[in-house]
Amino acid sequence: MKFLALLLISGLAFAGEPEVIARPYDLWDIIYKIWLVITVIIYAVVAIPSLYFMIKYRYKPGEREMGDQEHEGHWGLEALWTIIPLIIVLYLATHGFALFTQMRKPPENAMELKVTAFAWGWIFQYPNGKMVVASAIRDTEDNKCKPEDCYKVDGALQQYVYIPAGVPIKAVLTSQDVIHSFYVQPAGVTQDMVPGRTTYTWFQINKPGEYWIFCREYCGQWHSRMFAKLKVVPKEEFEKWLKGEVADLDHEAKKLEIANIDEKKAQEVVR
Amino acid sequence: MREALPAHKPWFAASLWEWIFTTDHKKIGIMYGVTSTLFFIVAGLMALGMRLELFNPGAQYLKPETYNWFLTVHGAVILLWWAIGVWASFANFLIPLMIGARDVAFPRLNALGYWMFFAASVIALLTFIPGNHIMTMWTGYPPLSTMEGVGFAGTTALFVFIWHLTGFASIAGAVNFITTVISMRQPGIGFFNLNLFIHGIMAANVIQLLGVPSVAGAVTMLFLDTYLKTSFFDPARGGDPILYQNLFWFYSHPAVYVMVLPAFGIISEVVSAFARKPIFGYKSMVVAIWAIALVGFMVWTHHMFVSGIPDWVKILMSYTTLLIAVPTGIKIFNWVATLYKAAIDYKTPMLYALGAILMFLIGGLTGIPLGIPAFDIAVHDSYFVVGHFHYVLGMAVTLSAFAGFFYWWPKVTGKMYPEGLGKLSFWVVLIGSNLLYFPQLVIGLMGMPRRYYDYPPIESWVTLHHLQTYGAFILAFGILLALIALIKGALSGEKAPNNPWMSNSLEWRLPSPPPPHNFDEPPKVEKDYCPHGYCKF
Ligand code: HEM
Ligand SMILES: [Cu+2]
Ligand SMILES: [Cu+2]
Repeated sequence: MKFLALLLISGLAFAGEPEVIARPYDLWDIIYKIWLVITVIIYAVVAIPSLYFMIKYRYKPGEREMGDQEHEGHWGLEALWTIIPLIIVLYLATHGFALFTQMRKPPENAMELKVTAFAWGWIFQYPNGKMVVASAIRDTEDNKCKPEDCYKVDGALQQYVYIPAGVPIKAVLTSQDVIHSFYVQPAGVTQDMVPGRTTYTWFQINKPGEYWIFCREYCGQWHSRMFAKLKVVPKEEFEKWLKGEVADLDHEAKKLEIANIDEKKAQEVVR
Repeated sequence: MREALPAHKPWFAASLWEWIFTTDHKKIGIMYGVTSTLFFIVAGLMALGMRLELFNPGAQYLKPETYNWFLTVHGAVILLWWAIGVWASFANFLIPLMIGARDVAFPRLNALGYWMFFAASVIALLTFIPGNHIMTMWTGYPPLSTMEGVGFAGTTALFVFIWHLTGFASIAGAVNFITTVISMRQPGIGFFNLNLFIHGIMAANVIQLLGVPSVAGAVTMLFLDTYLKTSFFDPARGGDPILYQNLFWFYSHPAVYVMVLPAFGIISEVVSAFARKPIFGYKSMVVAIWAIALVGFMVWTHHMFVSGIPDWVKILMSYTTLLIAVPTGIKIFNWVATLYKAAIDYKTPMLYALGAILMFLIGGLTGIPLGIPAFDIAVHDSYFVVGHFHYVLGMAVTLSAFAGFFYWWPKVTGKMYPEGLGKLSFWVVLIGSNLLYFPQLVIGLMGMPRRYYDYPPIESWVTLHHLQTYGAFILAFGILLALIALIKGALSGEKAPNNPWMSNSLEWRLPSPPPPHNFDEPPKVEKDYCPHGYCKF
């Protein structure tokens, strides 16, 4: 029951949201709903006749012992279920194409956020040079985090990534070591971060609040704790935050050094 | 029928020596089957371990590197030993019987192939020794797998050798099966009255022959990069990690058809036998199989939609990917049409085969959005993908393999399996699997990333993980029941007649189990021979 309720909720969560919370999630939502409807229809079209035949045409001794031997193909029918699916998939691919082109194009006024991944965390750099680090919370032999603490922002090595509400962000991505991936949950965008290359994605979140960023490309031991918390705030508040009050660059750089040292230590401990 | 056969020793009476040096395709088939099933069990147990860890958020029983090791072995073993390896068992045992041959074309190469597979199995077991674990995931992407000490990828060499040895076995098998079917058929058996199972196996093996060299090259470069410090994939020295992904998926996408086309073949055999009716649209079935194999080579970048390849390549391969849904759909519709005006006899193999069809449909329908970049961008490397491939592999392939086990069990062992236990196992497996795999689709849509050993304590996620773990244990219990049914049948089942299912196919005209040389004299194949009466035009 709880399961069904969850299903319903998840269905609704993706359905009928009048105002756009995040972009390009609104575009994803279009293709998602189209797919869901088509899928349910196709499943019904196949499963209902199947179940009907399964019940109706059962083996009955003395009555129905052999199937109809003449019924072994029908070019008309076979052509039908070649052509209709063909039309459906061509439509889906083409509609997907159109949406994808839009989804990949960052708006002109997008704010650029440089993101560099490392094992295991991210460094975010804002247009004015300000940096934020979000590094994975790891367990050590004698110190396992409690479930509620493993994904918490502690303000030191795991800081909030502030972004302004309603402003498109173009994230320019790369990695220092192995391949990672950048998934912004509310916006529904994923993009790998590949060493030696820069890739990009863009997103915009309209509703202030806290949201998840996860690493989605397996990157070794602490892949599963490689997350960041987006803090979406009104534009004015963001400007204030960006200008100062929080630590200067030197300070941030020191923190990063600490992060790297910690890294080595942690590895030794685990070995 | 043929009472006057010369005395012979059945395969199960052979000595250890005879097993080791045998070149008999039936014994080799059985050895493949036993090896695959044992490794299927190992991979399943590791999955149960993972499910326990994921039951609740936070670190539970496993360290992350242990989880990653379990997941790597689970993935690699279930794919290479089970989803690919188990078909080598069916193909070896059945192909000569179905085409009226005494053995395969190259019996010694065949034996060598098995022993390479065995060597790969030894390497896989070596990864269980502490310090030798592999934690690359079955995909082994560089630079993670080539950089020591950064991400804890483990012993990359063992990962590479597993691919090399199973690849060698695959190529030996492919050369053998293809040659056998082309050159050793009894007169009267042609392209359009071959068993659909053989078509599936043939298409799968053509893919192996063309594809395995690509992945073998990729992992060889991985080896050189890791140990001899070459720089094929090292961006700092002019290499490109994306190159590996291209070479890897050029094989590993078509490889999913190596896994599923033989499964389709088994479904066709079983459905037409128990519907007591010719398969609907035999010709379009054959064309569909070969079309899938062909187009399968033109879609590999759908695994790389977010890797940083040019957008136009994504669009191109989005079209080719979705195109594969068409021949796949043809097969499903034809199976359903076969049930129309049938006389369906619900024996265990039929239940498994029908289950495989309806579950494969979910696997296929969830695969379509993954082929649309606009959709995939939100669910790539999420649990939605995990749910999708489990519906295809954990359900369609696994249910078909068990359909095949039960269906040919009387022929292989000469004994009938217990029907009631067989049917019960099906229902338990079906319920468990859906409880395990459906929540994966839902939680994936909610954003849960793949290959995570831990996850944030989001309430709905926790519930969905609980369901999966319950499902996993129900599924494991179902598989246990199925194995018990099979073993019980082999040990103490009733004696099987030559043709318990009243099939028209050639293998059922032999005694159960078949004598060492199969046919004492070449079987006479009627002019209008059809394996299930399904190819009269
Ligand atoms: C006892 C039954 C099974 C359970 C409990 C199970 C569970 C799992 C879990 C928890 C994962 C890891 C997901 C992640 O963290 O990304 C996984 C991955 C996987 N499973 Fe299964 N699975 C089962 C059976 C199967 C079967 C029968 C197949 C194929 C025939 C299969 C194929 C795979 C593959 C290919 C992966 C991906 C491995 C990777 O990402 O490297 N599984 N499974
Ligand atoms: Cu990661
Ligand atoms: Cu693929």
